Amino acid sequence: MTKKTFIEVLKKNLHMIPIEDMNDLIYDYEEHFTLGEAEGRTEDEICKSLGNPYDIAKQVRADYVIAEAVEESTSSNILRAVLASLGLGLFNLIFVLGPFLGLAGVLIGLWAASLGVTLSGICLVLGMAFRPLLELIPYVVVSMPFGNMAAILIGIGFTAMGLLMGIGTYYLTKGGLSLTARYLQFNYNIISNRKDNPRKGARDEN
Amino acid sequence: MNIQFKKGVLELCVLAILDQKDCYGYELVNELSDSIAISEGTIYPLLRRLKKEGFVTTYLRESQEGPPRKYYQITEVGKETKDALLGEWHKFVNGVNDVVAKESE
Repeated sequence: MTKKTFIEVLKKNLHMIPIEDMNDLIYDYEEHFTLGEAEGRTEDEICKSLGNPYDIAKQVRADYVIAEAVEESTSSNILRAVLASLGLGLFNLIFVLGPFLGLAGVLIGLWAASLGVTLSGICLVLGMAFRPLLELIPYVVVSMPFGNMAAILIGIGFTAMGLLMGIGTYYLTKGGLSLTARYLQFNYNIISNRKDNPRKGARDEN
Repeated sequence: MNIQFKKGVLELCVLAILDQKDCYGYELVNELSDSIAISEGTIYPLLRRLKKEGFVTTYLRESQEGPPRKYYQITEVGKETKDALLGEWHKFVNGVNDVVAKESE
């Protein structure tokens, strides 16, 4: 591999980290090549001793994205971190994607339930409040198996319950995102030390 | 045994070298690869991370043979981390020696 190719592979695979961090890193590698050549080593020798630039870039990306996710657990950071983790190998398909989808599913379900309960409560209250108006529409009958007052109170109760569920789910989601971030960090630490990891084009790296 | 430990060993080596003197990247890589077989390319991301975590800082120094060189310097926090890692290393080595000694009885 030539120096030009090596550096280009790095640049192409690091375009998502902050530009100054990338430039810093590229500067280091270019300096490494310059000094190596001054010692009389060939570009090819230097490339071999540096290792696979794809793997280096992958490691830098995962490092960066996971650190970001732990710092600030927004959904987009977490998603990026999950994707970067998946890029680190087949191993992760089971141990990252699986639990992540499961957690996402539960949270989506809870959000939907909260919305449903809240809406049914609101509808109950509005239905009672606008009953005279609604019953003017042909064929519409607003009827409850309980009294008017009870209906309104139940409606308010449902709305309140739905909103509380929503608040609870919000905190669960935040907790879930931060838990995911920590799990990804844990997972990354484990796999970056595995030598039998079925990574694409895996090299024996420290 | 701590999984982080293996990564930490390389960290320990880098910090230990920088504790002795400031180095530029290539110098550091050479010193390390003299004693340990490593993929030299992984040292620079490691240095980058150490800098982000505040264990080392960098500065440029003029050089006679071309563009200014980027030197790495250990910080106070870096020294503390190095001491902690060194402690873990000694514990580990002693532990292994104990086990091996028992086995050969």
